[in-house]
Amino acid sequence: MSGYSFIEATPWQCAGCRLPLTPTTVSLTYLNSVFNVELMACPRCGMLLVPESLAAGRMLEVEQLLEDK
Amino acid sequence: MDQLQLRAFENRCIQEELPFCTAACPIHVDVRAFMAGLAEGNLREARKVLDRTMPFPEIVGRLCDEPCRPFCKRGEIGDPLAISMLERACVGMTAPVLKLPKLPAKGGTVAVVGGGLSGMTAALDLGRKGRKVTLVTAAEGLGGSLRSLPETMLPREAFPQAAALLEGYGVTLMLAADLTVERIADLIATHDAVYFDRDEIGPQLVPQAAAQPDPLTLALPAEGGFAGGGLGEDSSSFSVIKQVEDGRRAALTIERYLQKVSLTAQRDKEGVCTTRMHTVITGMASSAVLIPADPALGYTTAEAQQEAGRCIRCECLECVKQCVYLQEYKEYPKTLVRKIYNNQAIVQGTRNANRMINSCSLCGQCTVICPHDIPVPELCRTTRQDMVRNGHMPPSAHDFALEDMHFSLSESCTLARHQPGTSASRFLFYPGCQLAGSSPETVVRTYRFLAGRLQGGVGLMLGCCGIPARWAGQEPLFAETMDRFKADIARLGNPTLITACSSCLSIFDEFCSEAEIVSLWEMLDSLELPTGKTQAPGETLTLHDPCTARHQETLRLSVRSICGKLGMHIVEHDCNGPLADCCGYGGLMQFANPQLGGKAAGMKAGRSEHAGLAYCAMCRDNLAASGHRVAHLLDYIFPVADGQNPLARSNPGFSRRHENRARLKQDLLNSLWPEAAVLQPEHRQITLLISREVLDLLNSRHILEEDVQKVIHQANQTGRYLVNPGNGHQLAGFKPVRVTYWVEFEPTSRGYVIHNAYSHRMLLPEVGQ
Ligand code: SF4
Ligand code: SF4
Ligand code: SF4
Ligand SMILES: [Zn+2]
Repeated sequence: MSGYSFIEATPWQCAGCRLPLTPTTVSLTYLNSVFNVELMACPRCGMLLVPESLAAGRMLEVEQLLEDK
Repeated sequence: MDQLQLRAFENRCIQEELPFCTAACPIHVDVRAFMAGLAEGNLREARKVLDRTMPFPEIVGRLCDEPCRPFCKRGEIGDPLAISMLERACVGMTAPVLKLPKLPAKGGTVAVVGGGLSGMTAALDLGRKGRKVTLVTAAEGLGGSLRSLPETMLPREAFPQAAALLEGYGVTLMLAADLTVERIADLIATHDAVYFDRDEIGPQLVPQAAAQPDPLTLALPAEGGFAGGGLGEDSSSFSVIKQVEDGRRAALTIERYLQKVSLTAQRDKEGVCTTRMHTVITGMASSAVLIPADPALGYTTAEAQQEAGRCIRCECLECVKQCVYLQEYKEYPKTLVRKIYNNQAIVQGTRNANRMINSCSLCGQCTVICPHDIPVPELCRTTRQDMVRNGHMPPSAHDFALEDMHFSLSESCTLARHQPGTSASRFLFYPGCQLAGSSPETVVRTYRFLAGRLQGGVGLMLGCCGIPARWAGQEPLFAETMDRFKADIARLGNPTLITACSSCLSIFDEFCSEAEIVSLWEMLDSLELPTGKTQAPGETLTLHDPCTARHQETLRLSVRSICGKLGMHIVEHDCNGPLADCCGYGGLMQFANPQLGGKAAGMKAGRSEHAGLAYCAMCRDNLAASGHRVAHLLDYIFPVADGQNPLARSNPGFSRRHENRARLKQDLLNSLWPEAAVLQPEHRQITLLISREVLDLLNSRHILEEDVQKVIHQANQTGRYLVNPGNGHQLAGFKPVRVTYWVEFEPTSRGYVIHNAYSHRMLLPEVGQ
C-alpha cells in the first residue's frame, strides 16, 4: 500500500493545538513490512487521524494479506 | 506433516473409492456419472461417460451382460438400477460425443489374430497408444461370434462402423484372410507380439494358444504370445464384457511387454475389484425398477431419465453432511488434508489455507461419524501448533480470544480460596471462565448450594483451564497455564474438583489425570436438589449437549437425570450426545471466522424446532446470539429471584462477559472473603453510555468496553485527541497491547457517550507508542 494517499477534507482538528489537519507522509508498519502513505495530521504536533474507512478497509485488507505471507 | 502422514490420513477417507457399480464393472465404467447425466436429462453427458471408457459403445453399450448390477447399492433398498438397459437406451439415442486422442506413433509391431470383440478391443487400445497393429481375421468382417446376433439386438452397421474407427487409429485390417497354420507362424515370426482372440482362433490352428494364458496378464508360455476372449474358464458362458476386459488387459500387457517393464506390477485395480466405499442408506425409501412401456423397444428418453433418477449416486460424505465447516469450505477430509499439506509446503507466497485451518471447531464430530475415525481435529490442531512454531500463525486469528483468556487468568478475575471460615477443602468448585462470564450470579448460587450441602469444606477457584491456548496451537502457553493450575490446586491440598464446564473437564481429564474430578452434574445428581424454588418451564425443550461432552457419557446421563427430577419435558435431536455439533466456540472457530461461527450456532440451535436447553455456558450464549430461545440448566436449578424467563436471556457479548468475570470476583470477595478485596484500575471508573447499536458494533468488531475506557483514559491523561468543532465529538486512538483502538466519544455530565469505535493492527509511528 506504499504510495497510497488517504487525504480528504475532514472536520477533525487537533485538540491540543487547535489546528485543522493537513496532509503528511508517515510510515506504517506491520509484520516486517513498511508502507509510506499520506494521512491527515496536525501540522504542529503530528497527531494523526486514521479514519474508519481506512482502518476497516485498505488497512484490514493489507493486514490480512501480510498475515498469510 | 510429512508425506507419510499425508498418505496415511488420505487413506482413511474413502470418499474417492469407486462406487459399488464401477468396482464391479470389469472396465470400470463411471456408472454413477452416467446415471447423473441421464437423470438430469443430459444424454450427451451420459454418452460422454460411455465413450470415455467403453471401446465401441455402439456394440458394448447394447450388449453388456451387466455383472455390476447385482452389486448396485440400490438393490438393498428396492431393485438395482437397470444399468445395461439404460446404456442400451443411451447409445440408441446418441451419436458418439467423445473421440479419445491417438498418441504419437511408437515402435513395436503387434498382430491381432481373430476379429472378435476381444481382438477388436486389443487392437483399438494399442492403436490409440501409437503401436503399429495389424488385425487378421478369416471372417468377412469384425465381430466374431457377435456377427450371428439378430439385427434387433445389434444393428448390422455396428461392425463397419467399428472397422472405420479402428482404421482411424491406424490399425491395418485384413479381413477374409486365409488363416493357415503357416500364415500364423509367419505372423508370429514377423511381429513383436501376437494376440490370439480365442473367440475365433482355436487350438487346432495355433498349438501354442492351447495353453492357458496367465489370468493376470493373459501372456502365453510362448514368448511374445498372448491370448484371451471366447468362452469363460468353464467353457460354458459367453460374456460380452469379458471379451472387452480380456482385450483391454492383453493390450496393457503387450504395451508393458514392448516397453520391457514388469507385466505384473500394480495391476490389482484392473478388472472387477473390491471397494471400501461407504454409503449410508438408512431412511431412504425403497423403489422398484421401471419396466419400459414397450419392453421390446426399451426405454424412451423420459423412461430412462426416470429410471436413472433412482440412482443414489453412491458416495460417503457422511461427515460433510453434518459439519458446517466442511460444507463452508466445500471439502471432504481427503481434499482438506491435501490443501493443508500444500499450504504448509509454501515457502514464498500466500498461504491461502490459513483461515481454513483455523476455522475447524476441533469438535470431533467427524471422527465419530466416519467409518475410519478420521482425525480432522488432530490434523487441524497440530497444524496450528506447527504454524505457531514456524511463525506463520496469523496474529489476528486468535489474539482476541487469547487476550480474553489472559484476562480470565489475571489478578482481576482469578481466585483460589478455601470455604470462608475453613482452612482445608475436600472439594473445589471450578465454574470455568465461561459460566463466570455468562452468568456470575449462577456461579454464586451454585457455590453457596455446594458449600451448604457438602461436608469437609468446599473451596472456590476462578480462572481458565487454558483450552483457548490449546485450540490456538499455543503449546507453551497452554503448558504454562496447566502448571499454574496444578500448583494452585496443590496449594489448596488437592481437593476433589467439581467442574461445571465440559471443556474444562475434558482438559483436566487429559492433562491433569492426577487430580480427582467430578462434573458438577454428577455431583448435583447425587445431592438432593433445592426444593420449592425450582420450576420447570411450561414447554418442551430440546437438550443440546456441548461438543466437548461427546465422550462424557456419565455426565450426559446425569444431566438427563436432573432434568427428570426437575420435571422438565426434554426431547432429543439426532445430533446430540456423541454426535453433538459445536456451537461455534470450539477450536476458536468464531474468532478465526466469525461468520462461520454464527452459522455453526444457527445449525446447532436449528436441529429442533423447540426452544433449547444447554448446560454449557458458551453453547447457551452462542445459541442465544443466533436468535434462538435457549436456557441454561442451572437457570432452572437455581432460579433468579427476579422471575425473568431463562429462555429470554440475551447473549451478554464479549464486553459483558469480560466484566462479569471481574465483577464476580469483586462480589465474592466483598461478600465472602472481605479481607482479600482488591482495587480496580483507574480507567475502570470511566462511565460509558453506549446504545444497543454501538454495543453490537463493538461486539462484532471484538472491541471491549474496557478497551474503550482505556482509550478515553489515555486521551484525558495526555490531552492528545482530535475534536470536531461541528458536533463537539472527540476522537482518540490508543494501543494497549497489540491492537490500536479508535473511539469517537462525547463527554457529557452523565458519562461518555460512545458514537463509534474501530481498530487496526498496523502500527502508526505515533499513536500511543
Ligand atoms: S465420513 Fe468423511 S472422512 Fe470419513 S470416509 Fe466419509 S467422507 Fe471421508
Ligand atoms: S445406486 Fe447408482 S452409484 Fe450406487 S451402485 Fe447403483 S448405479 Fe452405482
Ligand atoms: S472437528 Fe468438527 S468442525 Fe472440524 S471437521 Fe470435524 S466435525 Fe467439522
Ligand atoms: Zn497538534
